[in-house]
Amino acid sequence: MRILSRWRYPASWTIFRIDDRLLLILIALIVGTCSGLAAVALNRSLIAMFEWLHYFRHYWWSFIMPAIGAALSALFLDKMVKEGAGHGVPEVIYSVSRYGGLMRFRSSFSRLISSCLTIGSGGSAGPEAPVVMSGAAIGSNIAKLFSLNDRQRVTIVGCGAAGAISSIFNAPIAGMVFSIEVILGEWKAVNIVPIAIASVAGTEISRILQGNQIAFSHRLFHINHLDIVACIGLAIISAAVSVLLTRFLRSMHRVSKKAPFPIWVRAAAGGCAVGIIGLFLPIVLGEGYHPVRTIIEGAFTQGFGIVTLAVFAKILATSLTLGWGGSGGIFAPCLVIGSLAGLTYHRGLVLLWPSVSWVNEGCFALLGMAGLISGMLQAPLTGIFLIIEITGGYEAILPLIIVSVVSTTLCHYIEPASFYLKELVEKGQLLRPGTDARVLSDLSVQELLEKDCIIVKQNMLLRDFINIVKKSHRNYFPVEDERTGHFLGIIHLDDIRSYLFNPPMYDAVVLCQIMDTNVEVIYLDDDLSEVLRKMDMNQLFSMPVISNKKFIGMISKATLLDNYRKELMVQTDL
Amino acid sequence: MHTQLFHIFRNTPLGRETLLQSIYFCKQVGASLIIYLPEFTKFLMYFENDVVQIDLDDSYLTSPGTTLKHVKELLDQGKIKARFLEPKNFTASTLPDISTNFDFMCCPRSISDLSSKIGLGYIGPRVRRIVNSARFPVLITSPVFKKWRSIAVFFGGSANAINALKLGFRISRASEMPLSVYTQMENASKESYEEIIKNENLEEEMDRYVTEWHMFERGKFKQNIYDVPHDALVVLGAYGHSLIRNIFFGSKMEKIQSTITNNLLIAGPNYALTR
Repeated sequence: MRILSRWRYPASWTIFRIDDRLLLILIALIVGTCSGLAAVALNRSLIAMFEWLHYFRHYWWSFIMPAIGAALSALFLDKMVKEGAGHGVPEVIYSVSRYGGLMRFRSSFSRLISSCLTIGSGGSAGPEAPVVMSGAAIGSNIAKLFSLNDRQRVTIVGCGAAGAISSIFNAPIAGMVFSIEVILGEWKAVNIVPIAIASVAGTEISRILQGNQIAFSHRLFHINHLDIVACIGLAIISAAVSVLLTRFLRSMHRVSKKAPFPIWVRAAAGGCAVGIIGLFLPIVLGEGYHPVRTIIEGAFTQGFGIVTLAVFAKILATSLTLGWGGSGGIFAPCLVIGSLAGLTYHRGLVLLWPSVSWVNEGCFALLGMAGLISGMLQAPLTGIFLIIEITGGYEAILPLIIVSVVSTTLCHYIEPASFYLKELVEKGQLLRPGTDARVLSDLSVQELLEKDCIIVKQNMLLRDFINIVKKSHRNYFPVEDERTGHFLGIIHLDDIRSYLFNPPMYDAVVLCQIMDTNVEVIYLDDDLSEVLRKMDMNQLFSMPVISNKKFIGMISKATLLDNYRKELMVQTDL
Repeated sequence: MHTQLFHIFRNTPLGRETLLQSIYFCKQVGASLIIYLPEFTKFLMYFENDVVQIDLDDSYLTSPGTTLKHVKELLDQGKIKARFLEPKNFTASTLPDISTNFDFMCCPRSISDLSSKIGLGYIGPRVRRIVNSARFPVLITSPVFKKWRSIAVFFGGSANAINALKLGFRISRASEMPLSVYTQMENASKESYEEIIKNENLEEEMDRYVTEWHMFERGKFKQNIYDVPHDALVVLGAYGHSLIRNIFFGSKMEKIQSTITNNLLIAGPNYALTR
């Protein structure tokens, strides 16, 4: 039996005891393969669903299909797997930053099914974020199965996300960069190697099962200096569109939350609205990769007005789908909106300066995609590498860098946190390793308790107290009620110095007369950031900890900072 | 030592019985009571190497307007103060995270299924996972409030059983109630069990706390359980053996819980004795 149970603790195997990075590499390979398979499964399911429903899209009532898909998706998430709607990436980041990447098993398949229902029926969303969540949950559960520690589990969660993105886009570098830049938020060799392995595994699975396809192949672009200068304008437009999309998504979410209907009714209403928009502008339906291909090939024939309208229609459709309870991600909508924004910009340039020989409009569409991804995610490297890999060419690298960097900078100036992180930052729940908030969150009041204080009673004479002071090495003495044991106040030696050197007072004063009753106290479940804030505000160096009205110990700034330093070393020293 | 018991309140007659059990337990062992009044039908508990989503049945949210009143009435009746837990962190907007930094947790036999499944022989899957993952012992209460007057520890000699025995000492020390130990001898001699106690340096505690050590040499385990007083708090370890062994030979804890109606205090494989 003991031999059989050893497989759950591979860290104890001789081969991995030599170097535990080998273990991470092995598990990364498994996780990358599994998450790659999950991505292929979703991709294939979406294709099958599109083909199956394609026949019905010609009917006048087809606008109801996204409503049915979104409603089923919401019902599945709410009633069957009991999860919330949304794309799930913030949930992955939250779990990585607060709970060492612990994720529920059900998350490894729930978003795959729900996003398939939403997107396959015509909802405006992408499959990438759901596969990220699925891959991350697969990683987390495999790490759990092998009893890996927090640090290793976080890396494996990153591997799952990387494998998923690599597989769905056939883009290993983008998967790797996305995982490190967005999910983990720290560039460390210990993370990079397993994540690279998982990316390769995910990509290879996709290539074996679906072929080595470039998602958006294009003809050669001849980019001149004027095009590069014009990119700055596109970056500004991309940033503006990113901010608009972020705000629309959030406002739709707020509005839908106020609607007094069950989540599936709300999702159906959002889906129905998307379906109606889709009757007039079919480009807004589904993930939208087909129109993106057409745009990049330079074969999109609609004029400036329709293209501009399509940008806003897609933003509205995405906000209605995701904000009202549908399931899916924002990657694909970003690519569609970005390509439309790039196309609009190109058409605008041609209208203003018809005599200038601009590069093909497909190039600007591609740059717009990078601008939107970088702006929404505030992750310029992800934007750059993703576009390079999914378009299969480096000739646009210089304008790509310019658009991505300028768009990220502008978006960061207007919205300091990316779309994925905004809610977490607002709630104070984004705890990146090595940051002040993360270090403090990993410490608790309980573990910093100093229990060597001598508790004194309220009716004790000063003379008796002085005898206690002689034995103690502390300056603080908590006072409690003799009868109930409740905490009443505290005596700080500095405050009663005049009494200590006045012998006639020794038998005349009892402690309840000289104790400080107006004391700031800490409770066991208080956050240490709050404790530090209280200490700083009141210029305190020690505070009593109370539970159930009883004194249970002291917390001092010195102990706190000492433990803070130790924790910081653990988090940053590898 | 400051100890805390975590209780999730269900606003139903069954929930009332469970809270009465928690109040009684806290008063006996001198623990503080932490009560969570759920606002959503689900929450997450993050343990060291697992995350458990607790899907409460709708009865937990029955007439939310009366919940606080009912809890306060029971607390006043039991003359005990409690702290109400407000979740600070949320994994999703309707999915709060509940701290697992407690010393005990009170569960009915099932917290995520219909109240009809409260009979013997059924422990809900969530309760099993909590027992498996938690660093604290779980108090699984009898369906109707029942005061316990003594402590009965089931000791089979395993590492988990030793943990349970130490937990029994701890409860006996705090509550000042008599403690009895029950052992079903399975192809082992009395001396071998005594040897285990000796090797663990528990002889002194055995002498101090244990009033009687019942060793069943004959008879089936299920029959011998009848000797356990009906008003004893039964303390036992659980899930200490491997999954394979449990599948082939069954879990002792499962046998006990499906046979007796007593309150059970279960120490899972991750129960940390340092607490």
